[in-house]
Formats: sequence, structure tokens, C-alpha cells
Amino acid sequence: MDAYILPIIFIFLFAYCLKKKVNTYDTFVKGAKGAIPLVVEIFPYIATILVATTLLRVSGITNFLAQILSPIFHALGIPSELVELVLLRPFTGSGSYGILENIFSTYGADSYISRCACVIMGCSETIFYVATVYLSQTKVKKLLYAIPVALFCSLIGTIVACLVCKIM
Amino acid sequence: MLASMLVLLVANPAAMLSEMIAASTDALKLCIELCAVYAVWLGILELVDASGLGEKLAKLLRPLIKRIFKVEDEQTQRLIAMNVSANMLGIGNAATPLGIKSMQALDDGSGKANFAMIMLIVVNATSIQLLPTTVIGLRAAAGSAHPADIILPTLLATFVTTATGILLVHLIHNIFTKNGKKLAKK
Repeated sequence: MDAYILPIIFIFLFAYCLKKKVNTYDTFVKGAKGAIPLVVEIFPYIATILVATTLLRVSGITNFLAQILSPIFHALGIPSELVELVLLRPFTGSGSYGILENIFSTYGADSYISRCACVIMGCSETIFYVATVYLSQTKVKKLLYAIPVALFCSLIGTIVACLVCKIM
Repeated sequence: MLASMLVLLVANPAAMLSEMIAASTDALKLCIELCAVYAVWLGILELVDASGLGEKLAKLLRPLIKRIFKVEDEQTQRLIAMNVSANMLGIGNAATPLGIKSMQALDDGSGKANFAMIMLIVVNATSIQLLPTTVIGLRAAAGSAHPADIILPTLLATFVTTATGILLVHLIHNIFTKNGKKLAKK
């Protein structure tokens, strides 16, 4: 079912452009032209954030943090099996998908832990990545309260996720 | 970063440089993939804009965006409207270039994030997702009997997080401005 959504939207879009007499070829080219400069501009930011998160993971600091935080998370109703996912999720998208697959194979895709993990993935984002990439083309150096609020909301989301999965 | 370097120095000094370069290689690979993805999406988005659909979408979402982001500029409203819709449809790759453009439009050059920018980060970070397509796909691949039964719980959780985020940013912004610190004028 999902597979049809995007193609239908695209076909509708092209048909609509035809009706509005938009030159689709030239317009598409004009938009696509922006891709290379954009990626060249954001590459240094992506590289830096990936290097930093890799160092955090390889040095074992995340594991160490997971151990310290797991009683606190447990008190909030978050199973200790999910602590690593919750900790890495704000930093890395591909990394957290790796952890998710790991959880599937360890606990089974239909287990409570796996369903929780899915909902957590759905209601959170790679916060640090989003913030760095989005602001890479601006002069902003001070984010003020943006990151703490985003992290706090993710935590709320995680707690809600674990609760909802118990009921539904 | 420094802390993890210090720990690595003790634990496994040989791994440091190779891991850093491996991570940067990953970043390069990711960027090449992103470049291809952005080329398609930026092309599509240019069509959305040129055909006037972007304007229609913005009109639909304008009252909401005005309330939440307190943005008056119409061009910026349109960018934000498209960014938020892409996020809701779970097309993060289309949302990113739009997010970057929105941020550029919102930048006031003061070096500090203003209210609307913070709101955009928080809304994106708590991403309302109507269809968590990637997760469902992965779950189906892992042999789940009902891979889509996480849609409803996800909707609920994502709604709670986004609502909390919007409320918190408004609350903190109000506290700051009441204390006389004019953080965001937009």
C-alpha cells in the first residue's frame, strides 16, 4: 500500500505541471542543479558529527553511560534493553537503524522490546545531525535552549512509547 | 570528543586515526548518496514551487505556521510548510534541503538562534510522522507477523512529543521575553 503513495503523488504533480503549462524539464534541471553545491557545503558538518559519534561509540563511553543510566531509565519505565538505542538515536540515523535490526534479531520482531524500539524510532530524530545540517548555512553559533528542549521531548516520547506499547 | 579521545588513548591507541578516517569515509559516502537523492527531490520541489502547489500547501498550513512559528514572511512560510509536510510524510530526505533553506531565510545574522529557528529545530527533531515507512519495512524484513501494528502507537507518541516541544518552546520563549531578554523578535 505504502509503495503507491509516492508514485501517485509524483504522477499527480507532473500532470498538474502539464495543466499549468510549466516547463517540467527546465524546472527539474533548475532544482537538481542545487544538489551538488548543497552537499559540498554540508559535507564538513556531516563528517565532523560522524567522527565525533564514532569516537564516542568506539571509546566505550556510550556503553559506560548506558550502564550508569539504565537504573534511571528503568525507573522511568524504559526497559534496559533499549538504553543503547535511546542514547545513540539523537546522534546517528544509520547507527540507530543498526541497533534496531540487532534488537529484532535478539528479541524477535513482534516482542514488546522490538515494538517499543520501533515506536521510539518513529517519534524521535537524529537531533544533533538535524541541528548541525540545518544551521550549517547560517551564521548561528548559539542554539540557546533548542537542543535541551528537543532532547527532553524525545525522552518524553520514549516514555510514552514504552507505556503505549504495553497497552496496545 | 576530547574525552573519547583520552579514553581511546588508554584503551586502543592504534584504532583512533583509522576509526576517525572510517567515519569520515562514511560521511563522504553518505554525502554522495545524499547528493543523488537531493538532486531528485530538489527537482521535484522546484516543480512543486513552479506549479503553484507549494503556494497552495502554504495557504492551507499558513494559519497554523503563523501561530506556531510566528513568521510573517510569505516565502519563509512556504518553505516551512513544505518542510513540515515532507516530514509528516516520512520523506526526511526531501525535508532536509527545505529545512536548510528555511533556516537561511530565518537567519537574522545575529549569531543567535531566534524563536522561529528554535521552533523549527524542535519540530523537526520531534518529527510528526504519519507513516513510519522505513521502520515498518525493516520490521517486515525481520519476519514480523503484523509489521504495521506500530503505526497507531507511533502516531500517539509522536503527537505527544511534538505537542510537548511546541508548548515548551513557547513557554521558555515567554519566560525569556518577560525577563527583558529580547531573544527573538521574529
